[in-house]
Amino acid sequence: MGFAKRLFVDFFYFLQSCKSYRQARRFVYNFLENERSKAKKYFDLFMMFLILVSVVTLIREVKHPVDESFLFFNYYVISIIFFIEYLLRLWVVSSVSDVIVSRYENDVATGQEFRFFMACREVAALKLRHIFSLKAIIDLVAILPFFHQLRLLRIFTLFRVFKLFRYAKTFQTFASVFRAKRFEFITLFIFSSIVIVISSVLIYVMEANNPASPVNTLFEAFYWSIVTIATVGYGDIVPITEGGRIVAVFVIVAGIAVLAFTTSLVVSAFNEKLDEVRETKILNNLTSKKRYYILCGYENIAKEVAKKLSKSEHGVLILDEDAHRIEEARKEGFEALNYDPGSIESYHKLRLDLHAQVKAVLCLRESDVENVYTALTVRAISKDIFILSLLNQHANRKKLEFAGANEILYDKEIVGMVSREFIGQPVAFEAIHALRSEYSYINIEEVVLTQRILERFATVGELHATRFRVVLLGIYKKEHERFYFNPIDSTFLEEGDCLLLIANTVFIEEFVKYLNKR
Amino acid sequence: MQRTNGLIFGYNDYAKEIARNIDKKYKRVTLFALKGEEHAAEESKYPLCFFDLSDEWEELQKEYDMAQTVAFCALEDDAQNIFLTISLRATFKELTIVALAKSKESGNKLMMAGADKVIPLVQTTADMIVDLLERPVASNILHGILYEKSNLKIVQIEVQDENYFHGQYPADIDWSRNHGIIVLSVIHQGKAGEFIYSSKAKHHVITRGDIFVVVGYDEDLKAFEKLIGSRMA
Repeated sequence: MGFAKRLFVDFFYFLQSCKSYRQARRFVYNFLENERSKAKKYFDLFMMFLILVSVVTLIREVKHPVDESFLFFNYYVISIIFFIEYLLRLWVVSSVSDVIVSRYENDVATGQEFRFFMACREVAALKLRHIFSLKAIIDLVAILPFFHQLRLLRIFTLFRVFKLFRYAKTFQTFASVFRAKRFEFITLFIFSSIVIVISSVLIYVMEANNPASPVNTLFEAFYWSIVTIATVGYGDIVPITEGGRIVAVFVIVAGIAVLAFTTSLVVSAFNEKLDEVRETKILNNLTSKKRYYILCGYENIAKEVAKKLSKSEHGVLILDEDAHRIEEARKEGFEALNYDPGSIESYHKLRLDLHAQVKAVLCLRESDVENVYTALTVRAISKDIFILSLLNQHANRKKLEFAGANEILYDKEIVGMVSREFIGQPVAFEAIHALRSEYSYINIEEVVLTQRILERFATVGELHATRFRVVLLGIYKKEHERFYFNPIDSTFLEEGDCLLLIANTVFIEEFVKYLNKR
Repeated sequence: MQRTNGLIFGYNDYAKEIARNIDKKYKRVTLFALKGEEHAAEESKYPLCFFDLSDEWEELQKEYDMAQTVAFCALEDDAQNIFLTISLRATFKELTIVALAKSKESGNKLMMAGADKVIPLVQTTADMIVDLLERPVASNILHGILYEKSNLKIVQIEVQDENYFHGQYPADIDWSRNHGIIVLSVIHQGKAGEFIYSSKAKHHVITRGDIFVVVGYDEDLKAFEKLIGSRMA
């Protein structure tokens, strides 16, 4: 391989391994293309604002004088911003270094000489594909008002509006609806075109020779046909011959049919797309929240759990393969997806980092078969994620344990224990039940000790919980995994310890504020 | 409120779990299966009777002292459960009835039908799940205390000797330092339970007949019990 080629390949190897280059590229990519990036949202809003400024200036300029500096901003600054954006998109849309390095390694692996021109052709093909894409053409046209001295090019400011398609998701959805029904729309277009052409020719033939008729040219006939088939009917051109009026009747009937067909087509397309739109919206929203509980199934117990968990600081996401149940969950205001919780693909589609963003997966189907399957699926994806499962038949407990569930709840056993305690110690039972109940004013709360709290309090005695009318039931020492009931005053507090406090909710809040005060 | 007989109506997993949990606390536990569930006779570990919802229940009085009996209505069908509850209540005023409800709506109906306690199946399980997730430490500790899975216990203690307190208020006593226990709430005679630091509890002098809900280790509880009265369980 020649020296120049060697240098060329080395340069791209360098780029590929250069951390700052990759970081810069990633940064630009997040701004321009990454749908999950917050930066892109702000960037899109900024660009939409610039477009708005451009259009307002164009309208204002028609009849009123506009300040020179404002025009300068409109024609030069905005155009330059758009141009920089155009170049940056061209840069990040595909990686030149990846293509060159991959081609080089391919050639070396197959024992060939590095095909420099082939590599350049691949790069050019990728970039040209982008340049000739509709979005890139619109981007380019939007820059043209820079040459506003040519009056015609000034009108291109209006084309900047088309750039909104790039920034506003609603427009993209709208476009995708039409894409989905492309075949039907093409059929409708062909039908309408045929009707327009035939009726134009017919009306011309019928009317053109009549001196009293307003239809004198083929263009006028064509104009009349379009106005009539669109059911607009300005009335500036009307047929006066009998033949022309018969043609008009047919065109009017065809127009009604075209209008009805178009309306039903658009409505049905939107209906079909609605689920997809909702799904995309939920998936996009997922990234903004911090951590999630994933509820697999939306049956009786799951409904109640979802309702209660919705009050927590974490998000709730429901997955169920049954469309009716998902619809029900959505009506209740939950983020719900019609995904099979037993399929690995469902979790990939979520684009969630299961380790960082999922607090727990809850298998809440009323079928042990489904719960075992889901638990096994989730465990296959992540070994660390917390899985809680409902057990419906006692005989299946071991299967759920084997599938990897961390916590198993057998509702019949719970009912048995509740019955026993209620009958044995009804007052104590009611007291504990009240502590657990969200409707009771007395509550039990966990307060985890942080470094900030420990700066002021070293021992239990220093907390002075009774002064705040708070009962300190005990301390759970995380390090020893042990609960110390009613700890003595000299007990040392450590970071991560969990205080169990019982009191009126307001008193607990006051006490926690006091603990965190500097 | 110690009872001696437990009558469990319905032959299903709920009924079996109730029987398993209460059989050590009751002298006599009897299961009642609906007629048509004859297979239950071969499986049941407990004495089993068959019944029909149209049965007259007076017969039961010959065998059980109703004041000392608790009936668990655990039929799978909510409508049948409500009918059974209302039949038992109409026949026995002094019988304690605990009924299982699948929904909030049937829970309300069961209370109207005369049940003393309704266990809402869905809500109870959901509460447990949410507690485990949101307050894992508190949930485990309370679970251990309530269901006797730890050395800590929760008991109700009735004050027999009010002289010990010399007219003190519940919130004025340092229970944890003096007795090694924690008093959660206090029930004054004929009134509802109040949290130990509530305003009502703070203005009520401890008198004979008051009931304390106390958490502690067995030895401390026994010592405290000796001081002030008898343990109720």
